Amino acid sequence: MATSEEGLIELCHGNGGWLMHELIEDIIRPALANPMLDTQLDAAKLPALEGLPVITTDGFTVQPLEFPGGDIGSLAVHGTINDLAVSGAVPLYLTLNLFIEEGFEISRLARLIKSLGQAADSTGVVVVAGDTKVLPRGQCGGIYLATTGIGTLAPGTNLGMGFVQPGDKVLVSGPIGDHGTAVMLAREQFGLSGTLLSDSASVLPLTLALQGLDGIRFMRDPTRGGLATVAYELCRATGLGINLWQEAIPVSDQVRGVCDLLGYDPYYLACEGRVMAIVSMSDAPSALKRWQALPAGSHAAIVGEIQSNHSRVVLTTDYGGERILEELEDDPLPRIC
Amino acid sequence: MTAEARHWLDLIHGLPLDRTLKIMNVCGGHERSISLAGLRTLLPRKIEIIPGPGCPVCICPEEDLYQAMRLALDEHVLLVAFGDMLRVPVNLPRSQPRSLDAARAAGADIRPIASPMDAVAIARQHPERDVVFFAAGFETTMAPVAALLGQNLPDNLSLLISGRLTWPAVAMLLESEKYAFDALIAPGHVATIMGAEEWQFVTQRHALPAAVAGFTPESLLAAIYSCLRQTLEGRSFLDNCYAEVALPEGNPTAQRLLKNAFDVVDANWRGIGTLQSSGFNLKEVHVSHDARDRFPDHTRASRRRAGEMPPGCACANVVMGQIYPNQCPLYGRGCTPRNPVGPCMVSDEGACRIWWANGVHSQREAPICPE
Repeated sequence: MATSEEGLIELCHGNGGWLMHELIEDIIRPALANPMLDTQLDAAKLPALEGLPVITTDGFTVQPLEFPGGDIGSLAVHGTINDLAVSGAVPLYLTLNLFIEEGFEISRLARLIKSLGQAADSTGVVVVAGDTKVLPRGQCGGIYLATTGIGTLAPGTNLGMGFVQPGDKVLVSGPIGDHGTAVMLAREQFGLSGTLLSDSASVLPLTLALQGLDGIRFMRDPTRGGLATVAYELCRATGLGINLWQEAIPVSDQVRGVCDLLGYDPYYLACEGRVMAIVSMSDAPSALKRWQALPAGSHAAIVGEIQSNHSRVVLTTDYGGERILEELEDDPLPRIC
Repeated sequence: MTAEARHWLDLIHGLPLDRTLKIMNVCGGHERSISLAGLRTLLPRKIEIIPGPGCPVCICPEEDLYQAMRLALDEHVLLVAFGDMLRVPVNLPRSQPRSLDAARAAGADIRPIASPMDAVAIARQHPERDVVFFAAGFETTMAPVAALLGQNLPDNLSLLISGRLTWPAVAMLLESEKYAFDALIAPGHVATIMGAEEWQFVTQRHALPAAVAGFTPESLLAAIYSCLRQTLEGRSFLDNCYAEVALPEGNPTAQRLLKNAFDVVDANWRGIGTLQSSGFNLKEVHVSHDARDRFPDHTRASRRRAGEMPPGCACANVVMGQIYPNQCPLYGRGCTPRNPVGPCMVSDEGACRIWWANGVHSQREAPICPE
């Protein structure tokens, strides 16, 4: 009897027996369909890699599990392959760990795995190994995912904070804070709701577009903690300062509205499909042009500059005043008034 | 920058300032707008903008906070509170939970909300639970709370009221004559509810220049200019730079709601002491929704906190605008947002927190530019 999508996950779906076997064969494997995923093997055999291999891993616990513009399945692909992409790598393989709560709807699991499979497929990566665990009711928020990604660096790729120099420009590939705001709205907490879509997406087209440009120093996807946090980490690591220009930083009206209402700062809100890049002064205009030619980069902008005369993140406000962006202290909470 | 902001800045820079002039704002929202726009870095060096008693989180008495925390821990109520109340420290031994956040980590069910309506929604979602809304705030927050009381509240919802009026703190400060500022920016939101005229006493009784401001940098710059010009010309009148929203008589409906819901009583301000006619108390008719009545054990004197400030903490002086945040001996040393000692380092509207978040990390550093 095949596993039906109508049922609920039970503890024995994770015990290694026939129920787990059917769950994997009927629900998970078809959604991740690829010839390299052999569920009979203990370890996946990969072909020899061309280029320097890179590896990264990430865990995913987002609530709600499905939000406008994405879900935990697609996020688990984008989050990990984006870490590879901003390192200058081409992602190739993923492993997938599923931690499912007892009582989780199998139909929902199927939907999330399908979304994960589609996200992987559209980026050209394959899931080659995985594991499934079921936790007793109440022990996790429905489902947690963990993915590990393997990719290879293109020859000559050498990116890092250590290459950043005074005078370099700061670029962002699109409006910031969409993911953080969309998830917040989807929680319908604080009496807010809205139509904003998460920016959750693969950034590979954006990072590939900059390949071959000599002046690329460093790239990062500003996820948790947002643009300000990446900027702050860069200052701490290099001892250099960053000037950011408020009027140049793309922020959507909805994100601005939510921030005004709750007292949040958009510079600290998460993105899941944007890139911040540090590019030499001479190559910054062509980097910008390459990004703007892509659908994902149509709102890309040069938003700041690396400085040697101080070592902080300084935001020049729309009014010409200056404000220092500090390291995030704690999760933002709505203000009293 | 907008043309209007440029206009006000040009006028301000054109004023013949021969000494340092200090202007106090009494609204956390004003302080936040000033800091977010970096206005201090745009004003002439001779103008100082100092934050005053404008943060409801900072002056919420410790005993109220302690009561809320113990209700959540001991009575297992579902406590809802405005987000920035969650991290305010209570002066307790480190072995005990010292904030609502810490109580939550210890197992209490405490949920942050952004609007009083959320409290009702949560109570309706959990009819089997006792839900307590810890309602701290100024007139701007208490008016919507009063509106709730005018509706049919769910039986399982009670209110732990810790509301305050803004003007008595300013009146006390001016009457003490221990103030060191030349003019006052009056709070726009409070004036919208209670009427701009409520602030006439500043100019009429104390001959101090004053202007009501809104929350855009343009409106704040206009109010700053008005305050400066009045000071230079030796005049004092209440200018309204938020006239499109804050009417002279305020919002009569909101005032009526407040009057129907609350008695105005003497009330304690954290670190400052009791101020006459400065607090809101639930009227007798709403006693069935009064958390203090529902859980009387928690109002017994033996279970109250003394409400003293932690040793060395100068939040009270910061709140009253007597010192700058970074003139407190603990600022940046024992007291940081990661490890707050006093309430001003907690709320996003607390002067210490705002200054810290904007990069002032050492004592008596000029609050304007990076090194």
